[in-house]
Amino acid sequence: MPTTARPRTAVLAFQFLGCAYQPPAGDQTWAGQLHVVARPAAALRHAARPARLCLSATSTLRNTRQISTNGAAAAAEPYDDGTDHARFPPLEQLPPSVAGYPSPLPERALKSAKLAALHARLSLPAKLPLQTLARTLVDASADEHPNFNNSNLAFVGHTLINYHMAEYLMCRFPRLPMTVMYAAMEAYAGKKSLFNVARSWGVDAAAAPGGEVDPGLLQFVFDKPGVAMVRFGYKRTEEAYLEKYKWRRGISSRIMYDDDFGDLITKSEGIDTEAGSESDHMSYGNINTEAIAERAHANHVRAVVGAVYVHCGREAVQSFIKAHILSRTLNFESLFKFKNPIRELALLCAREEFEHPVARLLSETGRASRTPVYVVGIYSGSDKLGEGAGSSLVTARYKAVMNTLKAWYLYSPKEHVRVPSDMLIEGAKPWEPVYVDIGEIIAN
Amino acid sequence: MTVSALKAVSTGRNGVGAFILQCKKMDIHYCDWAGSSKGMNGFIKSILPKFAAANPQIEFTVSPRPTKHPLLVGHYINGGQKAVCVRNMEPLQILKKAELLRDASGEKLKKVSKPVHSINQSVRGVWSPYHGNGMAV
Repeated sequence: MPTTARPRTAVLAFQFLGCAYQPPAGDQTWAGQLHVVARPAAALRHAARPARLCLSATSTLRNTRQISTNGAAAAAEPYDDGTDHARFPPLEQLPPSVAGYPSPLPERALKSAKLAALHARLSLPAKLPLQTLARTLVDASADEHPNFNNSNLAFVGHTLINYHMAEYLMCRFPRLPMTVMYAAMEAYAGKKSLFNVARSWGVDAAAAPGGEVDPGLLQFVFDKPGVAMVRFGYKRTEEAYLEKYKWRRGISSRIMYDDDFGDLITKSEGIDTEAGSESDHMSYGNINTEAIAERAHANHVRAVVGAVYVHCGREAVQSFIKAHILSRTLNFESLFKFKNPIRELALLCAREEFEHPVARLLSETGRASRTPVYVVGIYSGSDKLGEGAGSSLVTARYKAVMNTLKAWYLYSPKEHVRVPSDMLIEGAKPWEPVYVDIGEIIAN
Repeated sequence: MTVSALKAVSTGRNGVGAFILQCKKMDIHYCDWAGSSKGMNGFIKSILPKFAAANPQIEFTVSPRPTKHPLLVGHYINGGQKAVCVRNMEPLQILKKAELLRDASGEKLKKVSKPVHSINQSVRGVWSPYHGNGMAV
């Protein structure tokens, strides 16, 4: 049997060069990354920042590393493992100083196979360059410099997503109460939903960020949240008392002060930085790490939307949001939680000048048995407004009333409504006014 | 406050809106000594460049696996993997296997007994014994 060299990954010429070994997500044992993280590198990173662009121009002249992944051993002699380098050339030649950067250099984006594959997978327009796509993958916790992380793009994307989401919901369901509207907004465009979108795009996270990481991996760290201003809203002065004394936040003040989902603006965005700074932040899979991962993935999706807008314009971003976010499915009926539905229905009928609602037993079976079923209908005069079934007369009446209220609140003109931003397309038909409801039955 | 809201998360269905190819990476292993890799070496030389260019959504890596049979491994968005041993196969047979990996969803193989599986509510509604005129016995 002939002797063969130990297996090494090689890349064909037609491919991009950036297929260097990357640890699978969650692999914390990878020595090169850990050395880079453990290094007291903050001073070096900030000092190296201004020289970044000029350094990249001369990078080809510097000594190249033998293997791209031994970031820690850059200064030491390359380890000779018996590989025939003429036969298996080094995968990606990186200057040794590259490990000093908090995120990959922009020009490396052109050589990343992962990034090119992501670009093609999302069917992004060719106008959107790979460098911008690489920047959307750098979270503010990985690279604090706003010129190199995605926080600016994420802010643009956040406003665009929420604008299109809000106008769609208002035209499609004009009678939604504001609390349910907030919940629906969050169900579509909130952190958890966008996290799922990023996962469905096949975006993987790097074990730890750094200059030598493949630019096609999402880069964020668990131990510091980073400063990323990606939300609208005001920080309330009485924030401390809201929790302590259980002060009520009315809907009007939520609209005025709080963020797009009616949530309180806090400094840490729901991430407990105090607990995170203790030793338990390294334990993987707690609530904090989950929140940080969700935020990083969501900001990546927002940044991609922002990048599509910046490079391709309004119509492209509208169809992108429609394809990836608005097209998701949500059961609106599951969002409602009624406290006193009977009173609410009575007030609704009084306001709309319907006759007072009356519950009538439509059918029943097994009254004396263990499993009775009653079907109750709600009538206003001779009009049947709704019905519900339950195992007791009271339950059935409540269900019928709640179904009636849901039928009112979930009124929809039609499935494919025109929204105001459709008017921005050239040659659009004249605007027909949409249905605007007079407001909620009982104001909060 | 009468109506309050419950938190929910919307669900995405691939293909409603945008379609994302589920195969995100394909590993191609060969041996340049062993005879079982003869077809694979021909595949890498002649067919793979065209196949890779036609499927830019997939990241291809080619690496030797000396003294082993040639292998195709697909990596999928749901975290799954699918490996096919392509020993002694002709290049065009290997292309078929690569297309199989490309088109797979990464889910475990399971028997599909119902033709339609949907999260949408039925348009006609569920039959109820409490409605209608009933049936004379």
